Amino acid sequence: MSALRLAPLMLRPSTQGAAVLALPMIAFGIVTWLLGIVVGGARAFFTWTTPDAALYQLLAVVALALLAVPLVSLGGSAARLSARRRDDRLAALRLLGATSGTVLALAVAEATALALVGAILGVAGAAATSPLIGLIPFAGEPLGASALLPATWSIGLAAAVTLLAASSALLSMRRVMVTPLGVARRETPARVHWIVIVLAVAAMAIVAGAFSSFASIGAALGVVAMVAVLGVGFGIAMLVLNLLGPWLLGVQARIQARRASSPVRLIAARTVLESPKAAWRQVGGVALVTFVGVIAGVGSALLGSADAGGEMTLAADIRTGLIITIVGSFLTVACTVGLQQAASILDGRALSRALHHGGMDVSTMDAARRWAVLSPLLLVVAVSAIAASVLVVPLLGMALLFEPVTVLITAGVVVTGVVIVGVGLLVTRPLLRRVATAHVATA
Amino acid sequence: MQAISARGLRKTYGPTTALAGVDIDIAPGEAVAIMGASGSGKTTLLHALAGIVTPDVGAVHLATPMGVVDVARLSDAERTRLRRERFGFVFQEGMLVPELTAVENVALALMLVGAPRASAIQEAAMWLGSLGLAGMEDRRIGQLSGGQAQRVAIARAQVTGASIVFADEPTGALDSVTSAEVMSALLSATVGRGRTLVLVTHDEQVAARCSRVVRMRDGLLVDAGAGAAGAPAASPQPAGTLAPPAPGTAVAAPHPAYGTPAAPRVPLTTEQQWQVRA
Ligand SMILES: Nc1ncnc2c1ncn2[C@@H]1O[C@H](COP(=O)(O)OP(=O)(O)OP(=O)(O)O)[C@@H](O)[C@H]1O
Ligand SMILES: [Mg+2]
Repeated sequence: MSALRLAPLMLRPSTQGAAVLALPMIAFGIVTWLLGIVVGGARAFFTWTTPDAALYQLLAVVALALLAVPLVSLGGSAARLSARRRDDRLAALRLLGATSGTVLALAVAEATALALVGAILGVAGAAATSPLIGLIPFAGEPLGASALLPATWSIGLAAAVTLLAASSALLSMRRVMVTPLGVARRETPARVHWIVIVLAVAAMAIVAGAFSSFASIGAALGVVAMVAVLGVGFGIAMLVLNLLGPWLLGVQARIQARRASSPVRLIAARTVLESPKAAWRQVGGVALVTFVGVIAGVGSALLGSADAGGEMTLAADIRTGLIITIVGSFLTVACTVGLQQAASILDGRALSRALHHGGMDVSTMDAARRWAVLSPLLLVVAVSAIAASVLVVPLLGMALLFEPVTVLITAGVVVTGVVIVGVGLLVTRPLLRRVATAHVATA
Repeated sequence: MQAISARGLRKTYGPTTALAGVDIDIAPGEAVAIMGASGSGKTTLLHALAGIVTPDVGAVHLATPMGVVDVARLSDAERTRLRRERFGFVFQEGMLVPELTAVENVALALMLVGAPRASAIQEAAMWLGSLGLAGMEDRRIGQLSGGQAQRVAIARAQVTGASIVFADEPTGALDSVTSAEVMSALLSATVGRGRTLVLVTHDEQVAARCSRVVRMRDGLLVDAGAGAAGAPAASPQPAGTLAPPAPGTAVAAPHPAYGTPAAPRVPLTTEQQWQVRA
């Protein structure tokens, strides 16, 4: 039976509603839009010929890297969701004589099509908003029209995002085909190797040590070298955070699983323990933003106390860049949480339905899901705020850390991050309810 | 006094009539098998009896210590609570929480009705032991065979002392040997202790081990089965098992965490397994 004849079956509206169709598309749109803006902005710096150009180019690349990693993993989640959205139809399609190859092709084609539509919308959005982006001042002047991505770049970007979606969908579907229950069937939770932890802590100590000696020798270096050293230092710290994050969440969850006295807490802790990496994927973005936020806060305090001069513009520009990075990260976090939650709700729908049949309230399931995200979130936010402070103190001293500006910015970033994750949980709640209470013909 | 009885159940889904007017009486301690062709309405009937779906027309009377209630008239939340506290469920494929261990899955049912964790785990382990799963308490669900997972599900269905257990094709995914073992476990854990079992099956051998077989066709009960007059099927009680509830106090005591003290739950041994037509 040809894929073509089965396509209408796949495209029939499913019980999960339009949200599941729209979510991945919106996510791809946002991913492309953000990438378009950031790439466009970064590109603008490369047209500069001023002496500062090299520094700005370096910073642009750092910001791009900061945003690209979570954006790419968001793209992967979106593809996974759109591919799995209809895997309840797989069995039916197989019964109709479709080979698993056909089913795979259909699911991947659907995810790719959604990504393509999203990417085109995203590119258009980037073009539409580039005049606004052009208003952002750098080096004392608005970026202007140079922030607009040329058409060839836009096409390339849309193609890259679509390709990413296709390969993620393929990978994800392959896993589903091998074990229909996917991750749920895994027998032992993944552990982080101890070597990783030792290396991570060592790297962190080296950076902190370098920074504390940096304060004395820093003045002798030029501004460009200083920023480069700082950038690399903070980059390493964030990488370490990324490595340690899942391990930390695993440790926390193991303790909580042992202590849990309510069903909600027990399920939540066990869910995190099942895959600390998956938990980290949802909250890690906020951790990284918190890290950047603390530094942005201290930077602002420094800026307030510093006297005017040529370095004033540079500091202001760095702050502008940080704000853009933070806003972009928040958008990415919001999408990631929403998508991951939607995907895991859909993956577990048969079980949710059965548990509800057995008398578990949907609100109990929802609370378990909430704790499985919020409790790791609070831990990683605290840890990354502390880590950033530890690195900043030897550089700039304790006083700046407790300046009202620093505290305000840090608190603002943390609260926004937690609220955004909360919103991601909230918007997927109706999906959980619909899935758990759906009446389906089969038992 | 019936454990549960339905009158005039009708349920349609768009143009499809799933139930076309079903009357059924199930006495305490009965093991009723519902049979019939695919699409004849077995699952819908089971769901209507268990308060998972509400019928368009008709009533489902359930005996509780607080008197008889019409399940079909309860709110969503009340029906969910009823299922949690008074019923047990066994599905075709375990439907256990894969992140939890075997013993935690069973204990979860108790914790959901308010039992503290330590005692819930203890009780759950006792049930697993009595179902031949001693030593597997800390296994994850992915590490259990289909038959073992079904026995964990049976423990979960009965650990709260549910008065009625509903099972929809509990052996549907198992080979015939495992199916017979799981059926023995299910019968001994339910009717063997005076509880009521309502089970949907396509397997005549499974049905034959129940005290009554009813048959459905096109949303109607075409055969109400022998012994349908209301008397429970003769239920030989092997020495050592709990006596069935006395007539008139049809419903088993609920869990101490939310009601009157329960009778002591004695773990079963294999010798005590109860087979109606053995
Ligand atoms: N949620 C639903 N939406 C639409 N139709 C439904 C729904 N649930 C059941 N039906 C229809 O009602 C009829 C009875 O379904 P039911 O699931 O009770 O059958 P069954 O006897 O359990 O079949 P099987 O042996 O295949 O499990 C079928 O025609 C079915 O398609
Ligand atoms: Mg059925």
